[in-house]
Amino acid sequence: MNSLPHLRDIFDRLKRGYHISLDDEPEFSALVARFDEYAAWFDALGLKLVRHEREFFYFEPDNSENVPDTLPRIAVFSYILIDHAANQGQPIEEFIFGQNFLLTALPHFTLDRYTALLRQVDVNEVKDLGTLLNHMERIGWVRWLGEEEFRFLRPFHRVFSKCLELAQTAQATVTEADLQLPA
Amino acid sequence: MKINPQTFFNFCATHSALLRALADRGGEISEAEAMRFIRANPATVEELPETAWRGLVRNQILVPTEPGAQMHVLAEPVSRLLGYLFNDANPATPEMIQGYVLSLETTGKRLTRALDEEDVQQVKFAFEEINQALRRIHADLDETHSAILTELAHYKTERARVSVREKFRRILHWMERYVEPMIEIVRVDGPLRAVLDETERLLRGAREEALFNDYSALTLNQRFLRLVAAHALRVFTQCRKEIQPLYESLRQSSSIAEGAARALEKLQNEGLSRWGAEPLIGVCALRFQNVPGDAGIGLALRRVIEHPPEPPPVLEFAAEESAPDALVRRMWVDSLPERVRPALPVEDLLGWLVEEYPGKDTAQVLAGFTRLMFHSDFQARFGDTLARAYPTADGALQASPVKLASV
Repeated sequence: MNSLPHLRDIFDRLKRGYHISLDDEPEFSALVARFDEYAAWFDALGLKLVRHEREFFYFEPDNSENVPDTLPRIAVFSYILIDHAANQGQPIEEFIFGQNFLLTALPHFTLDRYTALLRQVDVNEVKDLGTLLNHMERIGWVRWLGEEEFRFLRPFHRVFSKCLELAQTAQATVTEADLQLPA
Repeated sequence: MKINPQTFFNFCATHSALLRALADRGGEISEAEAMRFIRANPATVEELPETAWRGLVRNQILVPTEPGAQMHVLAEPVSRLLGYLFNDANPATPEMIQGYVLSLETTGKRLTRALDEEDVQQVKFAFEEINQALRRIHADLDETHSAILTELAHYKTERARVSVREKFRRILHWMERYVEPMIEIVRVDGPLRAVLDETERLLRGAREEALFNDYSALTLNQRFLRLVAAHALRVFTQCRKEIQPLYESLRQSSSIAEGAARALEKLQNEGLSRWGAEPLIGVCALRFQNVPGDAGIGLALRRVIEHPPEPPPVLEFAAEESAPDALVRRMWVDSLPERVRPALPVEDLLGWLVEEYPGKDTAQVLAGFTRLMFHSDFQARFGDTLARAYPTADGALQASPVKLASV
């Protein structure tokens, strides 16, 4: 088990919240080839290695009470982008992964509603979006292609999974409410 | 009123743009609005708008919604003809196909009765009705297939800003309204196939009992029956195959969009403090508690190494050579009650103090005076004599004499 290749690099990345995906070679191929062995190795340390159905890897986060400031920012940023794509009538996944984005052309400050939502998480200008994207690059969700141009990487599917989870929860709540008999 | 076909088609030939516009609009239309359409879509021949209006009414292209009404609608036969001409297919609803099924069942019963009664004329009528129903089913299936394909192409090429959720609702409508119920009707064990099989059995019976001599019509109907059964299933299976990927894609997108919208709505309504952790996407960040990392140890060592040296404080352990002034003052004050006691009663306390302790300064004299005056063993009171001066080591006090006695 100690002969697992790139173990140190893989651990070093994953422990910082990085998501290893197709663009991260040779670590990605190593994880794909021997996922079970890596998972067992990390399990012994109390860490759960997750293999997402869209084929990328990350450590399952613990349910810490202390939420870093960046998480709400990333969430609001991502949800706004999805909301914008939905309003354009485009399939969401195609919109996110089918193009490169320009920092200055992002829709986040095009509507007052979006601006107000971003202000709640202390994102007040385009420069702050750049900082946020830098953080998202550090966890393997985006990749800068130039000074202003970037694209989303496959681990952004975690946002979609979260959205589906939220939608299902809401639908389940509605169904439950419908089933309740009047007092 | 009978329409002259020649006149009708001549009018249509010169007003095709107008007819297309009216067909696209659909619904009820007033004369004023029709006139606007006429002006916007002029005929290929020169004529007054009023002439075109009269032509529309005379040829029964536009008919009143009810006798004497001011509002008009495009006549249904014309609408169907235009749909056919402009390739605007209308999908058949499941109820329409159900209607054909019921019609075939009724015709089948009549055919059964005619066969029992050996009524050749009724058999012939039933054959014609079956043939007509089958042709209609076939045509409607084709039209439905065409309509669904057109709608799908429209979705894929649509450039207008229609939200994903709206698109999903529309595609869901097509799935739930047309495709799925229709498949239920036309599947191999569904009602359409059952009635077609029954009709075929009756046709075969008619042939065997030689009640109907038009064998070519019999063969045609039988062939048509099998064709319609297979065609219906193929059409809707194909429709489902076409629509399913788009349906899945839009359903996925719609759910994703719904989740994002709900999260944003909650943030907007309740604020960040009540947003909670549910909408967040957790990311692992390992922190080693109680175990300092190399960087932390290095920093601590560097701080120690780089801290400027400072001499330690020096404590004086040698014994005091003389009692501190404060202690001497305190001890003197505390000794006064015992010292004054033998001299009681004292007629002038302040005078006694300055006489007994002439070296004491004003503050010490007053401290001693206070100590004795408020002591619980003694009682002090002002005398009747006038105020006098009391010299101290650093000045003088002016006061009325106070007498001190034991309690």
